[in-house]
Amino acid sequence: MHVLAKTARASALRSCIRSFASSAARCQATPLEKPVLNKEFKIYRWNPDEPAKKPTLQSYIIDLNQTGPMILDALIKIKNEVDPTLTFRRSCREGICGSCAMNIDGQNTLACLCRIDRNPSKNSKIYPLPHMYIVKDLVPDLTLFYKQYKSIKPYLQNDNLPEQGEFLQTQEDRKKLDGLYECILCACCSTSCPSYWWNQDEYLGPATLMQAYRWIADSRDSYGSQRKEQLQNEMSMYRCHTIFNCARTCPKGLNPAEAIAKIKLELAAD
Amino acid sequence: MMSARIGLGSVTRRVAFAPVIGRNQIALRTLILKRGVQIQSLPPSASEEILNAQRLKRPSSPHFTIYQPQLTWLSSIANRATGGALSALLYGFSLAYLVAPDTFTSVNIVEFVAGLPDYLKYTGKLILAAPFTFHFWNGLRHLSWDMGKLLSLKGAYRAGYAVLGATAISTVALVLM
Amino acid sequence: MASSMLLRSMLPRTFASATGRNVLRSASQVRASSTTQYVPGGPIIKGTVNDPIEFPPPSRTHGSYHWAFERLLAASLVPMTAAAFVTSGSSYPVLDGLLGLSLVMHSHIGFDSMIVDYVHKRKFPILGPVMTWTLRTATVGVLVGVYQFNTNDIGLTELIAKVWTA
Repeated sequence: MHVLAKTARASALRSCIRSFASSAARCQATPLEKPVLNKEFKIYRWNPDEPAKKPTLQSYIIDLNQTGPMILDALIKIKNEVDPTLTFRRSCREGICGSCAMNIDGQNTLACLCRIDRNPSKNSKIYPLPHMYIVKDLVPDLTLFYKQYKSIKPYLQNDNLPEQGEFLQTQEDRKKLDGLYECILCACCSTSCPSYWWNQDEYLGPATLMQAYRWIADSRDSYGSQRKEQLQNEMSMYRCHTIFNCARTCPKGLNPAEAIAKIKLELAAD
Repeated sequence: MMSARIGLGSVTRRVAFAPVIGRNQIALRTLILKRGVQIQSLPPSASEEILNAQRLKRPSSPHFTIYQPQLTWLSSIANRATGGALSALLYGFSLAYLVAPDTFTSVNIVEFVAGLPDYLKYTGKLILAAPFTFHFWNGLRHLSWDMGKLLSLKGAYRAGYAVLGATAISTVALVLM
Repeated sequence: MASSMLLRSMLPRTFASATGRNVLRSASQVRASSTTQYVPGGPIIKGTVNDPIEFPPPSRTHGSYHWAFERLLAASLVPMTAAAFVTSGSSYPVLDGLLGLSLVMHSHIGFDSMIVDYVHKRKFPILGPVMTWTLRTATVGVLVGVYQFNTNDIGLTELIAKVWTA
């Protein structure tokens, strides 16, 4: 009798352990079952190993109740559980690295800052940043973008070093840099700009121009006139037609259009 | 450790005691022999060729066909289109007058227009007035930006809606004139 | 372990010392004899990934002067248009003349801007210059035509007013 009870308990325990491995149902309090909320994601795919194949939109269906709230969560879920060949850049998942910039439902933004629209009847379309050469899937070639950023010498230039200590500036002068220095160079704005689409090899684009202004506006920098002189040509800055797509799309809420307008005013006053 | 596992232990030991020049040659030769895999040695500069060969195959991602319609860029392209259309009309008429001043006299033109039915007159007026008023008001919006005004996103949008409203009202007024 | 690390550290140096200069020379040769040519706006980029892009030579006539002139011209069109609504061109022929000139210049700058944006000569070495020169000749012709219409006929503002009420 005693032995029988013991074996019965043991087998019950064993089956419980086995079931724990598969469904986790019997030994634990049952978690609240959320209903399945399937949503379709259509994602731009292109594989460099098959370059002759044209880029296509591939469809993935994901249960939103088993996914985090952001588009990046859905992408990571697809990559982990559905299709490991899906390629995209991501790093910080909190909107400070700028890696996951892409075109989501027609707008350039960071996937990690973009909430999934929970309406299951509408699909979500995800493209890479517009009018860029594609390395693979959602990864654009940003070489030119970085070369442009380098060309504006994004660092302090001043020949008159202070006698001791560091360069000082007034609080008012420091305030002029607010709204400029926060740029994370995600390239959302530049690739939303039609002028940049047509002339990106000559026109610097909103991101780079706003950083150019960030150094022109810095009271500690003494190379302002040289920085402005560089832009005195038809293409580098004056391809900006104040379209405002840049300010509209910036995931950090910055305003490159305003910065460029200020450079234009300063150049005209020179 | 690594070398022992891939069977290079004795080689590297020998190499360590060999004179400098000989040592390198031995190491190289044995490495290539032992792997049994043909390795093509390329100079660092070849990377550019390889990269460019890849770049030539890359597609360009879609742009205005997939971009969300927004007041920002739609009003901008509308500004260009309306300006272009009106300018084309000015250029067309002036060149026509230059070539055939006797055909395109004001008397002939006014006579021709007067002979049109009313509905055509009103459509014609609408087709002329809408682009003109839009380009006029949106031009003011552009000039205010160039003076440093309304440069916030909110300001740009408010001015955009104001332009649309002003365009609608002044178009109706002009058509009824 | 130690010996393998020694080997690994030796290998790159072997290549470098044996072929160091040749590598440098062949690098420049490869770039010069490259089969992949630079195409403006194409996927091939000028220079290496570490070079900054280069700026065209500075020119204020193409830069701030052009921009400021364009804005002043556009701004001056506002009072002129308002005046054309109020008065008639035949009583103020100067207004017709000014309006004709400014409108044509404003149009010319607008067309030119489209050519630079969409058919720039670096991308369209034949079509671009053809368009630019077509535009220039057309603008000269238009200026003459407008002048003749303003002097020999009733003038622009009067024409528009009459057509509108025809």
